[in-house]
Amino acid sequence: MKLENRLPAEGTNASQEHPLKEFAWLAGGAIAVVVALVMVVSYCAQWIAPRIPFKYELELARGIELAPTPSSENARAVQAELQALADRLVARMELPRGMSVRIGYHESGVVNAFATLGGQAVFYRGLLGKLESEDALAAVMAHELAHIKHRHPAAALGRGVAVGLMLSVVSAQLGRTVGGNVLSQAGMMTLLTFNRDQERQADEEALRVIAAEYGHVGGALELFEAFMRLPPAGAFADKSIPEFLRTHPVTAARLQAARDWASENGKALDGPRRALPQAIAAAATRKPKRPAQTERPAQAEAPCANRAPCAIARRNADRLRTAAIAADARLRDPRWKDRRAAKRLQRPLE
Amino acid sequence: MGQFLDLALFLLLLATGYVVGRVIEQRHYASIRLRERRYRDVLAFPMRFTPDSVTPQQAFLVYGTVVVSADYFKTFVAGLRNLIGGRFRAYETLLERARREAVLRLKENARAKGARLVVCVRFETTSISSGWAPAIEVLAYGTALVPLSADVRSMAPAAAASTRNHAFELSRSLPGTA
Repeated sequence: MKLENRLPAEGTNASQEHPLKEFAWLAGGAIAVVVALVMVVSYCAQWIAPRIPFKYELELARGIELAPTPSSENARAVQAELQALADRLVARMELPRGMSVRIGYHESGVVNAFATLGGQAVFYRGLLGKLESEDALAAVMAHELAHIKHRHPAAALGRGVAVGLMLSVVSAQLGRTVGGNVLSQAGMMTLLTFNRDQERQADEEALRVIAAEYGHVGGALELFEAFMRLPPAGAFADKSIPEFLRTHPVTAARLQAARDWASENGKALDGPRRALPQAIAAAATRKPKRPAQTERPAQAEAPCANRAPCAIARRNADRLRTAAIAADARLRDPRWKDRRAAKRLQRPLE
Repeated sequence: MGQFLDLALFLLLLATGYVVGRVIEQRHYASIRLRERRYRDVLAFPMRFTPDSVTPQQAFLVYGTVVVSADYFKTFVAGLRNLIGGRFRAYETLLERARREAVLRLKENARAKGARLVVCVRFETTSISSGWAPAIEVLAYGTALVPLSADVRSMAPAAAASTRNHAFELSRSLPGTA
C-alpha cells in the first residue's frame, strides 16, 4: 500500500470569492427589502388609519395631553385668542362630523407649531414672535387645521405603529447586532413627520381657507418669507439638502407654489392685512423667560409632532428583543448542553 | 443625532472587522500553506487500523486543537445570510482554517514525539459562543505510531524532509516490516 499525504485542495471547502461581493448583495438586498416593506406597510396603515372613526382617535388622545391649559393669565388670554381664530377658520373648512379642534399654547421660545392626535394643535410663543399680521398666523393655523381635517396625525400614528412593529421583527431577526438597530432606526426616521404629500395637501387647503377668509393669500406669502429669514437650525434645515430628503417642502418651493395657486385660482397675491389680536401681539413682543431652545429645527412643524408612534414602536422593539434574548439564553443553557453531552457519552464506544 | 452616532459606530466596527479580519485571515492562510509543505513527512490518515505492513508499534494519543472567532464583519454578513439561507461563505473560510490548523498542530505534536505516522485521525468541532460573535474550537486527534525497535532519533525531521519523494512505501521505509 502506498501512503501519501497530499496538500489540501484550495477553494473547494471554502469559497475563494471576495467577501465584499457577498456583503454587497446581502446588504443591498436587505436594505431594499426593508425599504419596500416599510413603504407597503406604511401605505396600508396610512390608508386604514384615517378611516377609523374620529371618536376612537379622541379616546387615544385622552392619554396624550399635549395642549394643557396654561397657568399664567397672559398665556390663557393668548390661548383664547388662538382658539377664537381657529374657530373662525374651521367654519370655512367643512370638518368631518364629530370632529372638534382644540388649540394649545406653550410659552417657550421654540419657533414651532404642530398638529397632533385628537384634533389638537399646539403653538409656541417663539413662532408668534416671528409673525407680523393675523393673516400670517392664520396661514400657519389653517395649515395645522388642514392636517387635522385630513386625519394626518392618525395616519402618521398608524404608520408608526405598523412600521415600528415590522422593524422590530426585522431587527430581532438580525440578532442583537448594532446593525439590526441601525436598520430599525433608519426606518424610524421616516415616522417622525407627516410626509411631503400631506404637507402639500395641508398647504393647499390653508391657501384656500385664508383666501376665503381674507380675500388674498398675502398671509401665506408673509409666513414663507419669514421662514426663509430664519437662521438654519438643526441638521435638516440645511438649504443644501434637496427637497426629496426633507419632509417640509423647501420654503422657496412652497412660496412659489402658493403664488402659482393664487394665479391659477384668480386670488389676489396681497391685500389689506389685519393686525395680530391684542394678547398674541403682546406675547410676541415679550422677552422670553428662558433662552430659546434650539434643538428643534425652526420650521412650521418639527419632527416632534408625532412622538407617540415612535415611543410605541420602540417599546415593541424592546419587548421583542428581550424575548429573543431570553429564548437565546435558554438554548445556550449549559444544562441543556450537558444533556446532549450525556447522550453522546451513552453511545457505545467504537 | 444618536441615530447617526449609532450608524457611524456600526460602520466603523464593520470596516474594522473587515480590514483587520481579512489581513489576519490572509496571513493565517499563508502560514498554513507554508507549514503544510513543511510537515509533509508526517502522515495522518483517518483509517481505524494500521496498514497490514506495519510491525508492532508504540502507539499514543496526539491531538491538535485550535480556537478561532468570527470577526464583526463576518458575523454581520452571516446574520443577513441567515435570513435567506445558502452558503455561509464567511464562516466556511473560518472553519477551513481551523481544520487545517488543527491537523498541522497534530502533526507538530506527532513529530515532536518522533512519530511519522498518525492513524485514526478524527475531528471534533465545538462552538464556544461568548457574546454574539461565534467562536469555534476544532480538535483533531489520532493515534501516533512509533516503531518499537526503532531509534526514535534516527527519524529526525530534517532527514525525513530531505527525501525528495514524500510518499513512501511503508514496507521499505518503516523498519521491521515484513
